[in-house]
Amino acid sequence: MVAITTPTRAKRPADETLVAPRSYLGEVRVRFMTKRAGVGALGVLAVIAVTAVAAPLLTPHDPLAGRATERLLPIGAAGHLLGTDEQGRDMLTRLLYAGRLSLVTGTMPVLIATILGTAIGATAGYLRGPLGAVLMRSMDMLYAFPAVMLAIAVAASLGPGVNNSILAISIVFIPPIARVAEAATRRVVLLEYIEAARLSGASTARIIVSQVLANIFNPIFVYASGLVGLSIVIASGLSFLGLGAAPPTPEWGYMLNSLRGAIYTQPWVAVLPGLFIFATSMACNVVSDALRDALDVKDA
Amino acid sequence: MLVMLVRRLAMVVPTLLGVSIVVFLLMSVLPGDPLAGLLAQDASAADRAALEQSMGLDDPLPVRYVHWLGDALTGDFGYSPYRRRDVADLLGTAFRNTLQLAVASAAVGIGLGVALGTIAAVHRGRLLDRLVSVVAMTGISVPSYWVAILLIIVFSANLHWLPAGGMSSGGGGLLDTLKHLVMPAFASAFVSIGVTARMMRASLLETYGQDFVDTLRAKGLTGRQILWHVAKNAASPVLTVAGLQVGFLLGGSVLIETIFSWPGLGQLIFQAISARDFRVIQAGILVVAVTFVLVNLVVDLLQLVIDPRLRKAA
Repeated sequence: MVAITTPTRAKRPADETLVAPRSYLGEVRVRFMTKRAGVGALGVLAVIAVTAVAAPLLTPHDPLAGRATERLLPIGAAGHLLGTDEQGRDMLTRLLYAGRLSLVTGTMPVLIATILGTAIGATAGYLRGPLGAVLMRSMDMLYAFPAVMLAIAVAASLGPGVNNSILAISIVFIPPIARVAEAATRRVVLLEYIEAARLSGASTARIIVSQVLANIFNPIFVYASGLVGLSIVIASGLSFLGLGAAPPTPEWGYMLNSLRGAIYTQPWVAVLPGLFIFATSMACNVVSDALRDALDVKDA
Repeated sequence: MLVMLVRRLAMVVPTLLGVSIVVFLLMSVLPGDPLAGLLAQDASAADRAALEQSMGLDDPLPVRYVHWLGDALTGDFGYSPYRRRDVADLLGTAFRNTLQLAVASAAVGIGLGVALGTIAAVHRGRLLDRLVSVVAMTGISVPSYWVAILLIIVFSANLHWLPAGGMSSGGGGLLDTLKHLVMPAFASAFVSIGVTARMMRASLLETYGQDFVDTLRAKGLTGRQILWHVAKNAASPVLTVAGLQVGFLLGGSVLIETIFSWPGLGQLIFQAISARDFRVIQAGILVVAVTFVLVNLVVDLLQLVIDPRLRKAA
């Protein structure tokens, strides 16, 4: 008896001193850090964001002022590391500045849609009944439109502009987030602690806010993080069509479109804005995948 | 089975009604003059009022909706003053062109996606699996409009193999048709490749973990025979995703069609938006949404055909 129990007894205190108990978020962070691709992608995003914000410190050029004599210089031209655009403006400068608008138009719709979609989905999933059905069926109606077409139609009816394109993409993302939130809520409401909260006299609003939201956060967060890359691609696509940022403000999608005329003369300069859109969207998707694993979410 | 069929078909009606309401409202708030192009330059306010009345534009919104829906159901979408053609004619031609492109990209996207997903699942955790996941992630992340521009630069501007845009007039035979088709089809297929490959891999791996696979293995089936059984059981979610992709593609990609000057639905709708040609926008978006709903219906019915378990669930 003694021979069997002693080794394990002797080992356990030692283990506890070596590995301090971690908080939940600490645990998640450690799991995320084991995903090399996710960490690398997060680094890429950080570089894009920091260089966008610090653009005035990094480049001596004005993103809006060009020289007619320096139009469409190739990559590596003297004084212009990534060449110049069709109006003689420094490409690197514009690409860095453009990150500001592109990152905002990529993240804002997801943020707005997450807040509204979660509110709609959690309410519908908790209440069920006729109100829940009405909420979810009206979401289904928006589902009947292909996402990009819906965004273009809404942006076009609202008129061009950054705010309108953010609004248009938000509307596209609300229904899927509401669905994820509703499904997660339906699972959560069956659990004992919700029953306990209800028995202890908490109001519906209080239960949703204090019990349900905290427990449906993970699947919604992972799902929403997966939409950021898509949001950046759609937002730039809207600008590409002239429905987003107004010139001369630098924005990747708009730059890609205005350089289309240069694909025969300076193809490698012309594709640069697209490369930035692609790199940002890819980095977002890789981070989202790593988050899904780190948070152990299977059904978002 | 029959009950389930009827129930699923009945669900389509409220969805389609809802879609028509959304489309109608969306266009009623569209800024711009619906009479632009119909009135003479020197038209007086009385002329305008008379035209509005004759077109029913002075009716209350619900009345206009019912009229519009009634006309749409009989295939009458009105007249486009901008194009000087019946909207139904315009949509018919554009839909056929988009169908050609959608079938080609769906074949490329779903075909390659299923193949890559299967390769990844069979070689789970090995180099091929990781390679496929990089390809799939690229497909999901890459903007199709950028792929389009890259393809034009490589195959049109530099190699001169393929035309940079436009659709074959039919005079050049099959080869000419394919030459015009291949770049837009590939550019819009990238997303489908990525989405389908990921779903195929995930669904196969999940099915491989089920008990019946052990039984098959115990019976002494070869890897290929087991894959066949697993694939049949894993098909359902892949079919759903593939159906969604077909729906998206049939909606016509505004961006791809604009870049390649492909005279399809996407381009028609986008040009109508720029021209404020609101009857074309309204009818075009309605056609896209109805197609999308019907494709999803077909997918659901196909699920019932291939998966007996779903039939019992009713």
